[in-house]
Amino acid sequence: MAERLRPVNVVTVGVGMTGAIMGKELAAAGLKVVGIERGPGRDTVPDFQSPAIHDELRFAIRKALMQDNVKETVTVRNSSDQTALPMRRWIGFLPGTGVGGALVHWNGQTYRFQPADFVYKTHLEQRYGKSFIDPELTVQDWGVTYGELEPHYDRFEYLCGTSGKAGNIKGQIQRGGNPFEGPRSREYPTPPMKEPYYGALFRKGAESLGYHPFPQPASTLSQPYTNPEGLTLQQCVFCGFCERFACEHFAKASPQTIVLPAALKNTNYELRTNCQVLRVNLDSTGKTATGVTYVDAAGREFEQPADIVLITAYAFNNVRLLLNSGIGKPYDPSTGEGAVGRNYAYQTVSASTVFYDADVNINPFMASGSSGTVIDDFSGDNFDHGPHKFIGGAYVGAIMTGGRPIEFHPTPPGTPAWGLGWKQAVARHYNHTVVLTVHGSSHPARHNYLDLDPTYKDAWGLPLLRMTFDFPDNDIRMSSYVTDKATEIGRAMGGKTVASAPRRRPYTTTAYQTTHNTGGAVMGNDPKTSVLNRYLQCWDVSNVFVVGASAFAHNASYNPTNTVGALTFWALDAIKNQYLKSPGPLVHT
Amino acid sequence: MTRMSRLDAVGAIVGIAVLCPGLTASVQAQGKRTADANHGAVIAAQGASGVPACAQCHAFSGASDSSGAFPRIGGQSAYYLEKQMRDFTSSERVNAIMSPIAKALSADDIADVAAYYANNSGQFPPLATTDAATYEKGQQLARIGDAAKGIQACNNCHGPDGAGIPPAIPYLAGQYAQYITFEIQMWKRGLRKNSPGSMAPIAKQLDDQQIAAIAAYYQQVRGSTSAAVAK
Repeated sequence: MAERLRPVNVVTVGVGMTGAIMGKELAAAGLKVVGIERGPGRDTVPDFQSPAIHDELRFAIRKALMQDNVKETVTVRNSSDQTALPMRRWIGFLPGTGVGGALVHWNGQTYRFQPADFVYKTHLEQRYGKSFIDPELTVQDWGVTYGELEPHYDRFEYLCGTSGKAGNIKGQIQRGGNPFEGPRSREYPTPPMKEPYYGALFRKGAESLGYHPFPQPASTLSQPYTNPEGLTLQQCVFCGFCERFACEHFAKASPQTIVLPAALKNTNYELRTNCQVLRVNLDSTGKTATGVTYVDAAGREFEQPADIVLITAYAFNNVRLLLNSGIGKPYDPSTGEGAVGRNYAYQTVSASTVFYDADVNINPFMASGSSGTVIDDFSGDNFDHGPHKFIGGAYVGAIMTGGRPIEFHPTPPGTPAWGLGWKQAVARHYNHTVVLTVHGSSHPARHNYLDLDPTYKDAWGLPLLRMTFDFPDNDIRMSSYVTDKATEIGRAMGGKTVASAPRRRPYTTTAYQTTHNTGGAVMGNDPKTSVLNRYLQCWDVSNVFVVGASAFAHNASYNPTNTVGALTFWALDAIKNQYLKSPGPLVHT
Repeated sequence: MTRMSRLDAVGAIVGIAVLCPGLTASVQAQGKRTADANHGAVIAAQGASGVPACAQCHAFSGASDSSGAFPRIGGQSAYYLEKQMRDFTSSERVNAIMSPIAKALSADDIADVAAYYANNSGQFPPLATTDAATYEKGQQLARIGDAAKGIQACNNCHGPDGAGIPPAIPYLAGQYAQYITFEIQMWKRGLRKNSPGSMAPIAKQLDDQQIAAIAAYYQQVRGSTSAAVAK
């Protein structure tokens, strides 16, 4: 039934950040690569042009750039005894679609994880003893170290042109940067963005309490920059339309601005858009993939044979494709066996809101998605957890991403939820409020997992992914502790009122928190507890690599993109330098 | 809504935070003198010590004479006009006529003159039109930029059809083509040093024909918009 196409060397399922980078690099290495993208093709010109791209109703509220959940969505529940229901409108998180993926509408916040994150279990047990970690949590090591990933972080940051101030270069602490960060081999490619007024207020408040503020690393650029692909990015103009929007200004790192033009110049690379991959095909042994089957926009089914299948979609879709293709053993929470769908984690985000007198003008609309000032004093394992009954932490910062009029309505506690009183409060506080973000780690727990929904199917008749999640006790305790710290900073910033909103249960998808869904196809050293080996290669099917935040064994205190970028280059090196020379498992158990 | 939203405005606010770390916004507001547009009008008409009358070149309306040697300044924001005068003082911009004038005026005088011309809504009698092909080329650069060169649309910062995004970003619509061309060439040659992050790299990528097309388009666009509305 499906038309069989001419074989190629490599297929990428998805052409977002990871698919675009891997496709470009492997085509440059001489392989025939086909990038298959379910969404439309699009580019800065003509698709991202002002003023149309600043349509807040269309993009921020109606989610014009996001996955079409009429065709494909996820089902959600808080616990195994509930019945999951499909998300019919994206609110809690926003999976992207289309060429460039979520890197088209991201904010550009570009953090590295801590060295301890990659050897998490070993590190925590050494520091706090074996019984310290809540037994509910399935914390484990990643199988790779920060030292191994450092050159790949560096490579991704220099591809993006990330703007920031290093805090640690080869072990030397740098003034003005983050003194807690792991050592970098060199300074950021471009200097930090200018500090907005809300950032300056935060800096002052945080410093008065003895903390260590630094400019948030941003891939919305502080100055023009030409990357190693010869592509030039422009200076950000602080228009305030990054998250949920595409950049018209060539100022935000997206596949369209950092890598895709280089891929498309290479005749070895072919991009196919509006093509939905249904499954990865396996040979009769089930140990080798033969290619993928997809449906194009006209509904025609094709089989694309390939030597290597790279699954490079959004974390959820990576896991779902594995499950729908019968790759790996699905996780069973009742026995703890199986690895596909295991170690799902989210991000534990909370806030403190600082309300000022009417003569302090914040101008929140003057922003990029990542202009702001933050502290790392309470992130990850940067502080002694001994006295506390939790692991993990959060960065705290004044990060205002645009103050757009439909979405940004800060009101102090006690304000009516509607009517004249609400309107008056919004008018009074809109320009005199700073929101402090508490961006916290999320730990995998035995009862949180991803599997296939038994009831609901997508437009092609395949089961949807089902998400079973609620915040573990550990993460709720962490959020309470660090949100209190944020509130203290808010008071030190001179706020008239500081409203504290630590994360509480139950997890709900009806308020936006973050799109940082991670895990479900994690990397590791043990095939019993991981789907991928340390090179992001499937334990069970050695010519399949799964690249994305789905590989995270837990989610650290930071935005995941930079770590996804580092893992992409790390896996690429393994493919180019090891796998191509001798195809087969790169790690033997 | 007045948008203090662009890059120079960030610089302005950062400057305040750095210079006056102990001050709250209320103290800043109290310490700020209100500009006197009436006094500005006197300087515009009569000049000051060592300063010829502004109106001799820029006219009382700020529309300047039709030669195109002097820019239209009527209706530009006071913030923008003051900043340009400061940049003439600091030699980020250098001009044989304007630099000595800016240096001779006090900060208060500059604020007053800026307030006078900012409040002057400006007159925009239609200027010379260009041929259709040049207009279209200019419009394309203004609206979508040059994708092949990675140059962003002028209107991204300068507002719809170059209407400006005050206070930081000047209008271009109705500006003299000769002035626009001259200033872009100054950036391209590295002689105009303000807006080094945005305007200089853009100017360096534009070729002479593109610069001429942008300039011709903006000179014409305000007139044509008004005419369309009038019809």
